[in-house]
Amino acid sequence: MGLKYRDIKPLLRSKRHFSAWVGTLGLAVGLIVLLMAVQMFVNIQDLLNKKAPKESRSYDYVSVTKTITNENMGKDNSFSGSDITRLKEMGAIEEVAPVTSNKFKATVSAGSALPFSSEAFLESVNTAFLDTLPANFSWVPGQKDVPVIISSEFLEMYNVFAPSQGLPQLSEKTISSVHFFLECTGPVASQTFRGTVVGLTDRINSVLVPESFLEWGNKYLAGDTVTRTARTIIKVKDANNPELLKYLAENDLHINKDKVRFGRIKGILEGVVAAMGIFGLLVVLLALVLFGFYLQLAIAKSKDNIRLLLLLGYSPKWLAKSFTRRYLPLYFLVFLVATAVVMVAQYIFSKLSIAQGVLSPYPDIIVGITLVVLLLLILLLNSRMVRKEIQRMG
Amino acid sequence: MNLSLHNISPKYISVGERSEIWGREFEINSSDHLQVVAPSGSGKTSLIHFIYGIRNDYEGRILIEGRDIKSISHEKKGILRREKISIVFQDLKLFEDRTAFENIEVKRKLNPYHNEDEITAMAKRLGVTSKLSQIIRTCSYGEQQRIAIIRALMQPFELLLLDEPFSHLDEENRQKAFELISEECSKRNAAMLLADLKRSSFLENEKTLSL
Repeated sequence: MGLKYRDIKPLLRSKRHFSAWVGTLGLAVGLIVLLMAVQMFVNIQDLLNKKAPKESRSYDYVSVTKTITNENMGKDNSFSGSDITRLKEMGAIEEVAPVTSNKFKATVSAGSALPFSSEAFLESVNTAFLDTLPANFSWVPGQKDVPVIISSEFLEMYNVFAPSQGLPQLSEKTISSVHFFLECTGPVASQTFRGTVVGLTDRINSVLVPESFLEWGNKYLAGDTVTRTARTIIKVKDANNPELLKYLAENDLHINKDKVRFGRIKGILEGVVAAMGIFGLLVVLLALVLFGFYLQLAIAKSKDNIRLLLLLGYSPKWLAKSFTRRYLPLYFLVFLVATAVVMVAQYIFSKLSIAQGVLSPYPDIIVGITLVVLLLLILLLNSRMVRKEIQRMG
Repeated sequence: MNLSLHNISPKYISVGERSEIWGREFEINSSDHLQVVAPSGSGKTSLIHFIYGIRNDYEGRILIEGRDIKSISHEKKGILRREKISIVFQDLKLFEDRTAFENIEVKRKLNPYHNEDEITAMAKRLGVTSKLSQIIRTCSYGEQQRIAIIRALMQPFELLLLDEPFSHLDEENRQKAFELISEECSKRNAAMLLADLKRSSFLENEKTLSL
């Protein structure tokens, strides 16, 4: 048929009903909420994962120690080989790295330049578990310089207390230029090394030295050949995994609460955004139902003319298609408005300090896909309903 | 075009033994002209509606080119009504709030057999030229009848169904309308089935059946 919709438009004209406007408004609001939820979900993933180094993205590194209770206080609370093996066998744990600590006394001093001296604890862990691995983080026996990685929290704490102690504050960059004396004293021997902070870590709250240094020191300075592991680091997909938390609690193991809290906050945020998404979807569905009622009403109002057109030989399919098409501009407008709102919101959000340059100023491709899928779905549902209604009249 | 009726009878009226259509077999082929004569209430309009595929409340079978009309989909019925069968309804079925011209044009545009100028030419022949721009409900029934006839002639067809098409026309206008219909059927080599209350003088040499 070479016919155009405008040829029969006067026969199907009906006033836009109140429900059509409410439906349109509902569709726009629901769509904005849904798309914003999708974009927020992507933003949360980006904000919480992109800050971590690439290879550790989506993994949590959690420190595990044995819970000290009144019963086991004073006993050997280190991890045995079988403890480590059992941890490795736990499904939620990807990898386990024992942390070795110093068996000799370590004292840090700044020499004659600064009146500063403090006892220190040293630890070492498999370098694969470090988020920062400077090239010079290695040690061989005979080497006078010992590279050290400290927790960035320690630097923060130092900078808080330094002024009151008459010590200079240090930035992340200048700390590597500060050298200190590391005096290691054991029952067997003593030796003084030159320590240099070569990196900062967000992952492990400790003063880390190369594994080879602690092995050597414990053996030659402390005369201790038995490796005791007071804590281990575990690599897990989700530190908030209930199965993991249950296992750890049952085995009297204690973990870094901050990590779990962080995981919980992430979980809550994701939950809130998911709820927002579901709410948006429900509003969209309700709006579609309302719009559906309006379409039925509009068809019912033009019922006599549609019947007559069918009697004259008009194709039911063509009529349904034409009837649905008259709402296309309205749908496109609603979708355009929703896209514009999400784009503006994302642009503003990406400029906030919390985004820290991690977020893109443009909405994610998933938002676009959601939009296209929804538009197709709405058109499909509407045209099916209109076709059914019109065929019933034939 | 071949239309055959096999023992059809409406489910809702009792059929008289003397009927030459209900419960009988007959067929219409291209260029046949058939007149069905019966008093009011005997089922003339029902017969036309059965053949046009609007109603299914009958027993027996109506075959159009070998296909049972009851089994034809809505979409295929649309094609039949655009290309093979045209109709003048007894109740005219015009768009009340559109002009006479728009009523004809909505059919012509669907599958044009004539160009737009032919509407004016036919209206002139039937004496309704001045009514073309008039809203249909403001026209007299006789004028509306002539508009419905012109509308039916705008498309290609192989069978023309006429349900009391001249009921509100005077003799002169009946004559003019019938001549126009006859010419259009001849152009298309189409069959004609005219249902009326009494035998028409125009078809006195053609086959006449009573319901």
